Parts: sequence; C-alpha cells; structure tokens
Amino acid sequence: MALLEIEHLTEFFGGLRAVSDFNIRLEHGEIVGLIGPNGAGKTTVFNVITGVYRPTQGTIVFDGRSIVGKKTHQITQLGIARTFQTIRLFSQSSVIDNIKIAYHFRMPYGNMDSFLHTRKYWEGERMVDDYAIDLLRIFHLDQQADNVSGSLPYGAQRRLEIARALATKPKLLILDEPAAGMNPAEADELMTMIRWLRDQFDLTILLIEHQMRVVMGVCERIKVMDFGETICEGVPEYVRNDPRVCEAYLGKGA
Amino acid sequence: MRFLRSHRTLATILVFVLAYVVIKVLSTVPLVGGQPLMNRYYVQLLALVGINIVMTVSLGMVNGFTGQFSIGHAGFMAVGAYTSALITTVWLHVGTSNPWVGYPVFVLAIIAGGVVAAGAGYLVGAPSLRLKGDYLAIVTLSANELIRTVIRVTPVLGGPRGLGGIPRFTNLEVIFVFTIVSVVLMRNYVFSSHGRSMKAVRDSEIAAEASGINTTQQKVLVFVFSAFFAGISGGVFAHLLQFIHPDNFSFVKSLEYLIYLYVGGSMSLSGAIVGPAIFTLLPELLRNLQQWRLVVYPLVLILTMIFRTEGIMGLKEFSFILIPQRQQKGADA
Repeated sequence: MALLEIEHLTEFFGGLRAVSDFNIRLEHGEIVGLIGPNGAGKTTVFNVITGVYRPTQGTIVFDGRSIVGKKTHQITQLGIARTFQTIRLFSQSSVIDNIKIAYHFRMPYGNMDSFLHTRKYWEGERMVDDYAIDLLRIFHLDQQADNVSGSLPYGAQRRLEIARALATKPKLLILDEPAAGMNPAEADELMTMIRWLRDQFDLTILLIEHQMRVVMGVCERIKVMDFGETICEGVPEYVRNDPRVCEAYLGKGA
Repeated sequence: MRFLRSHRTLATILVFVLAYVVIKVLSTVPLVGGQPLMNRYYVQLLALVGINIVMTVSLGMVNGFTGQFSIGHAGFMAVGAYTSALITTVWLHVGTSNPWVGYPVFVLAIIAGGVVAAGAGYLVGAPSLRLKGDYLAIVTLSANELIRTVIRVTPVLGGPRGLGGIPRFTNLEVIFVFTIVSVVLMRNYVFSSHGRSMKAVRDSEIAAEASGINTTQQKVLVFVFSAFFAGISGGVFAHLLQFIHPDNFSFVKSLEYLIYLYVGGSMSLSGAIVGPAIFTLLPELLRNLQQWRLVVYPLVLILTMIFRTEGIMGLKEFSFILIPQRQQKGADA
C-alpha cells in the first residue's frame, strides 16, 4: 500500500487554478522530487498536503487515512513533517528548545503538571532533554544547544529545521527547497544527508528543489509541474531528456 | 520535595521569609513615638505592588510570551473584584471580626472570582484567538469597556456609585502568599513544554502548527489562565481598598498594565516584576512632583522604547526565577 496517495487534486485561489488534476503515489522509502518553474504550484501542493489550504477537489490518503480537512497540527501528528522554503525557526528560543517544541504533542504531562512541576513534569523534561541532545548530536548542533537559534549561521539553521521536523517522528518528510542558498559543497553534503536520513529514520521523502544537481543526484523519481499541470514524470534520466521539461524551463525553441 | 534539592531555591525561600519577618516587625512593633515605622499606608502600597505584579505577569503570559496583543486586562480584574465582593459583602456579609469564618469564605470568593474571570476570558478569547492579527486587541478593548458598562448599570453591584463596605481581608500575609504563589505558578508554566509552545506561537505560528502544536488551543488556554490570575488579583484588590468603582477598571487601568509590562520587559518574567514595582513605588518617590506624575509615566515609556526596546530586563531573568537546568550531558562528548 502506498504511504501517500493523492488523486485528482485541484486547488483554486479565487479564479486562479494553482494546481489542476495532480496525482501522486509515494511508496514507502522513496525519495521523490517535485520540480518546475516559479509559480508552477509546487509549494501549493505542499501546503495542501500539510493542511494549510483545503483542496478544492481531490482526495489525499496518507497511511490509509484521508487527511482532507484535517488541521496542520493533526496532519503533523499523523506523521507528515515539513521544512519551509524560507527558514522558519523559533528564532528567539534556544536551539534545543526548537527540538523540544516539536516534541510537545507527545509530551506525557498536562497543563496542571506544568503549573505545579509535578514528578511527571520532571520525568518528561529529563526524557525530552536526552532525546533532544541525541538528535542534535546527529546534526552536529549539540555544542550550540543553548544558543539562541536565530543566531546560528545559515547552514546550521537549515540543519536545525530538518532536525526539528524529525523530532515529530514523521513517516513522510517533505522538504521545500532544502538546498536553497547552499554552495555546491554544502549541497553535496545535503544529498548524502537526505539519503542517510531516509535509511536511518525509515522515512519517505518528498522534496521541492531548484538546484538540478541535487534533484538529479538524490531523487529516485521526479515529477515536473508547470502552470499547475503535471507535464512529465519519471526517473531522472528520462525527465532530463524530455523536451517538454526544457520548454517549461527555457521557453519554446530553446 | 524535589525543588528543595537546589540550594538556590532554598536561599530564595529564606530571603522571602526574612523579607516577610522584617516587614511584619516594621509594620507592627511601635518604634518611633508609639507608631510603627511602616504605617498602614506603606503596607497598602506594598500590597498594591504585589497585586500589580500578578496583573502584569499574567498579562505578560499573553502579550509577551505568546505574542498576542490583549489590551483589556483590567476588565478581567473587574470581573474578579466584583464577583468576590458580591460573595463576601452582598450575599454572605462576612467580616474580619471572625477570621475563622471570614478567611475561608474570602479565599473561596477570590478563587470564584478567578474562575468567573477565566470564563469571561474564554468567551472573549475563544472566538478572537482563532483569527490571526489585531483582532484580539480590538475585542479585548471592547470587552473591557463592555464589562465596565455592564457593572455600571447593575444595581446589585452598586451601579455607578460603586460597591463599598467590603471587609479588609487583604493583609500582609495574604499579599505575600498570593503574590508568591501566583508568580511561581505562572513561572512554572512558562518553564514547561506548554511555555515553550507559547514562545513557538509567538515566533512563528505557521511553524508551530507544522511542529504539531494546536496553536489555537494553546493561545486560548493561556488567555484563560491569564484571565484567571487577573480575576484573583481583582478579588485581592477589592478586599484591600474596601471600595470598588467601575471606573477603577477602565481602559486607562489596562493601559497602565501595558506600560508596566513593556517598560519592565514583556519577554521576561523578571521584567514583568520589575516594571510594576518601579511604577507603583515611583509616584511615592516623586510625591513632590504630584502634578508631573503623568508626564513622568509616558516619558519613562518613551525613553525605554528608544533606548531599550525590549524593556528594562530584555530577555534576561533574575537567577531566582530560573528553573535548575539539565545537567551538562556533553561531558563525554
């Protein structure tokens, strides 16, 4: 059974059709890329999957359950985590708190435990401290654990955003332009990391990316969108040589 | 108990006990000419400091830590003040002459005031916190005036004449217990998973949702808790002044708490303690400049906004506010 199955997804913004008849099936453990020129509707697809927008038409089934109409936090709790095109960290909180915040919905203590700092509170805090430090260590951020996250360098902020997404223990991770603003060396490192994350955390990954090196290097399957329509789909070699893709990016006659 | 394990916590408790003993002695033992050094007026001033601290810290939970802009906090204070006064004065006629009956009724009455204020907070917060942006400011401002006007036209609450004859249950002990317990409870909440979620909502609501936090629920909860503590403060306030008037709880009063909060530092609990303490004691130091008081207030606010945008405390906390943090686990790394 597919982990994520989207059928006939259409999204209107007023009279504008941002996405039309979008279909995708993600099998467990795949790394799939979503590419296309600016304004093709890629981020809209992400926003619909994560419940930011409600689809005008179509069905989204995740892990055997329809997630249409669910709120963003409910969808995250079901196992879809995301990063953002522009980094959205909790910039005034410390690095470790960013991770702990993503753990909040699984925290075993309630509001009254918070007010009274009961035994349950201390146990929960000790557990989340250990969990967060271990996760930060994987991303080489444990030395900066107590720094304010807004003060981290750009690359570290990107890593922290991915670490935060993983702290929700997702089954599906969706990355919106993870290599944006990275130089080729950093992008190579990112590609290695994406593959390693998939194996280590048993993830399925869907990503939007503009750097073709990254898309071609890491994705097993690619879907190309233009003006809300899916124009091509297949393995990287196939997509690379498709004339419709060249046309979408460069225009007719290129 | 776990909190006693930390020497710092023990030291803090000792300091508060000592402070209480010193003030108690100064206010009861006759020293100069048969009069105690601290007269009733100073004790009342100290009580107002405590009440204003709890009001400001509870406002800071919403405005500072959760990043929502509530500007009608005095409305919830009014709800608490009138509810508790209604119970002790209008319905039960309890007095200070029999403390064994009086104080339990008083405590239950102020808690009832807090609960009713929390209910009012839910009615105001639940619809408006679903929306993002400035709606909360408009709704809380309206709610504040609405509450004041309703009290003005309700005869049982004294209407526009105000409600008098309230027994003076608020003494030094009540103020100490009320202030410390309230601040500790709110401090605990801020230093918890829920507190982190509040800050997450403030920093980026979209990212907080995407991290699995039910942001609407968290915002409404904080707002309700904040209204609860404002209600309790109102009850303590009513039983201190013994006379309450609807105009005590006007928008101007709410504005005062906003000034206390933002001058002290809205994103710091210490700031929400320093701000009201300064502003409650400042007029005493400037007693000779009575007419200029209202010039000094805004001037301090303007100067703070220019030279210390984040308030006097900024993001810093006094060390006694902080919770003992995790042991450094990185020793082996």
